Amino acid sequence: MAGMTVIVRTIARLLFPFTFLFGAYIVLHGHLTPGGGFPGGVIIAASVVMLFLAYGIERAQKRVGFLHAEVLESVGGLAIVVLGLFGILLGITFLQNVFPLGTLGQLFSAGNLPLLYLGVGTKVAAGLILIFYAMLFAFRGGEE
Amino acid sequence: MDFNYIIAMLLVALGLYCLLLKRNLIKIIIGLAVLTDGIHLFLISLGYRSGGIAAIVSGEMFSDLPGFAARAVDPIPQALVLTSIVINICIVAFALSLAIYSYRHYGTLDPSKLRRLKE
Amino acid sequence: MIPHAPILAIVLPLFAAFLMPVVGILARRRGIKRAREWFAIAAVLVELVIVASMIPALREGQIIPGQFPVYELGGWSPPWGINLAIDGLNLFAAVIVAGISALVVIYSFVCMERDHGLDQYYTLLFLILAGMMGVALTGDIFNLYVFFEIMCISSYALVAFRRKWQSIEASIKYLIVSSLGTSVILLGIALLYGMVGSLNIAHLAQKLPLEPTSAIIVPLALFVTGFGIKIAMVPLHMWQPDAYQAAPSAVAALFSGATATIGIYAMVRVVYTLFGAFAIGIMLAVLGLVTMVLGALMALAQRDLKRLLAYSCISQIGYVLLGLGLGTSLGIQGGLFHLFNNAIYKTMLFMIAGAIIYRVGTSNMDRLGGLWKNMPVTAMLFGVGALAISGVPPFNGFASKWTIYVAGIEAGQPVFTIIALITSALTLAYFLKAFNSIFLGQRPKHLSDIKETPLPMLFPIMLLAVLCIVFGVLPQLGIDIVRPAQEAVMNSGGYISAVLGGA
Repeated sequence: MAGMTVIVRTIARLLFPFTFLFGAYIVLHGHLTPGGGFPGGVIIAASVVMLFLAYGIERAQKRVGFLHAEVLESVGGLAIVVLGLFGILLGITFLQNVFPLGTLGQLFSAGNLPLLYLGVGTKVAAGLILIFYAMLFAFRGGEE
Repeated sequence: MDFNYIIAMLLVALGLYCLLLKRNLIKIIIGLAVLTDGIHLFLISLGYRSGGIAAIVSGEMFSDLPGFAARAVDPIPQALVLTSIVINICIVAFALSLAIYSYRHYGTLDPSKLRRLKE
Repeated sequence: MIPHAPILAIVLPLFAAFLMPVVGILARRRGIKRAREWFAIAAVLVELVIVASMIPALREGQIIPGQFPVYELGGWSPPWGINLAIDGLNLFAAVIVAGISALVVIYSFVCMERDHGLDQYYTLLFLILAGMMGVALTGDIFNLYVFFEIMCISSYALVAFRRKWQSIEASIKYLIVSSLGTSVILLGIALLYGMVGSLNIAHLAQKLPLEPTSAIIVPLALFVTGFGIKIAMVPLHMWQPDAYQAAPSAVAALFSGATATIGIYAMVRVVYTLFGAFAIGIMLAVLGLVTMVLGALMALAQRDLKRLLAYSCISQIGYVLLGLGLGTSLGIQGGLFHLFNNAIYKTMLFMIAGAIIYRVGTSNMDRLGGLWKNMPVTAMLFGVGALAISGVPPFNGFASKWTIYVAGIEAGQPVFTIIALITSALTLAYFLKAFNSIFLGQRPKHLSDIKETPLPMLFPIMLLAVLCIVFGVLPQLGIDIVRPAQEAVMNSGGYISAVLGGA
């Protein structure tokens, strides 16, 4: 893929930070508003995929390589599991909340929920980018 | 008021029709997605109550929890549907990449032509 | 037992699955050979220890309300929170899954060494293990669905792992049929939730009326269809031979041993514990009969060893369904015992097929022959497996099949017993044919310098063969293993009161 016209590239470049920020907002406010890790992660992934489409896969691969996405996905998954293990180590059962609850409605509240959403968001965003890569490789017939 | 359920079951029937009778992998995958969407609509409708409010406690509702519980919609089906959507995305993504591979190996998207294993 | 064993049994494979790509990348950077394989073996052995540590706790008392067997996630008590409920049946399935997976991972060490992308292979293997463990241990019906889907998606990917045309074709068929099945299960769950408003299995079982009304039959039928697709019950079996033939042999061994067990477990849990529907058992028994006869007849006509084994797998699942469907305590005992034995010898036979493919490069029986001289140990082990699966006396297949025959006569269905006996003879026939055309007869010229199966591959096969003989000579030992599971199936009231605290 060689990328698209200047108009598309410019708009993609302009929109990218806003889309990314919106995704990050949804991930971070998962415990307060509708949304959370999965929708936010999808929006982040969409913003990155938009750049891929506009600029072509070769240039995009330098920014977010296949390896980066793979590692990020593993890190997101591990974060969820480790947070669950915190519950066993410091509390009584798996995934039990061991962090301070804070006041309702604040950004830093609800114990481990925001952290869990962060893990889920990372995993979803990286996972969807990986799926995108995998499909591209399938089209080109290259080795994964 | 029962339109939801009728449409949900229509979607399920439509999805089944696509899944069983269409001769194109992409259409079959679309059928699969429509089928699950029908089930999702059914689940969401189960938790809906007319004039209900979103099941998010905020501000003034915090003082009147029983009143909130009497008006809010059931959040559990929403959680179930969200989970199911995630699973469905995985299946559709995987099915689409398989369709790409099958097009490369067989040069067709017609699943009835994929029968070399039987021979 | 190890504290928190139930959740650790699910989390550990997930942890290993997420860590596997990182291990792979690090090993490539540092140039450590075989790091992934050793890591996988270590993880799966730890998993086996965790699952085994739960056995003594269960032996002490059937199922104790409160503390251990019901594990509440996040400290939310049922029916509000998600819980893991351990009774004899769960643990029975979990032990089979953990044991078979451990052997399959050890077997993969050599079997898969010629493949690329082993990071993904082991990641998927651990994901499917996590899914199976989750299905086996959870006490929440939606949770069961989610883990079931994790298991299914990883198995589609494992079937397509080698990305040749066979695997792509098989995976597409498997995916379409099986995701229809899981959608149907989701619809069943939605109907149940609409009726009762709960998702906890024990709570649902308590709230559902005992007499089957027409409103209950629909979700029951949906569940049986969905799980029936997964265990390849006969009208829904067409995906299975393709998938088993095209998948790598280690994966086929895992599917036939562990995944089929989980499918049966889910079916039993939903039909007997959730619906308490012993009345539909006879339908299951009839379906089991059809499955067993058709599977055996189709197996007779196969020319490919793995495809033959796949059809024979269908046939053996038929025996299990027949035993379970009779609904008497002896029938359920026989069915579960046969499930246990089936996991042992079917895994072993698929591993032998993998060994032959590893050495010769094909499993087409027309191109094989006279391998007795090249691989005598493998031939002997295949003989043990074939005799065990056909129900010849000194092996374990006989013990469980005999129990099912007796149960059939006791339940007043001698016709079932006669059909099962005839199918058993058919089984012996097609395995003799397979043995004859692979190990005896004329040896083609190009096969003369084939060597014996490598030792790391032979080790799990030998272990399973020893188990075949042990449970054949001492059937009482096997029945002791099965008894807690059988009592758990019969006693759904105990499960409900254990989970809900005597409510």
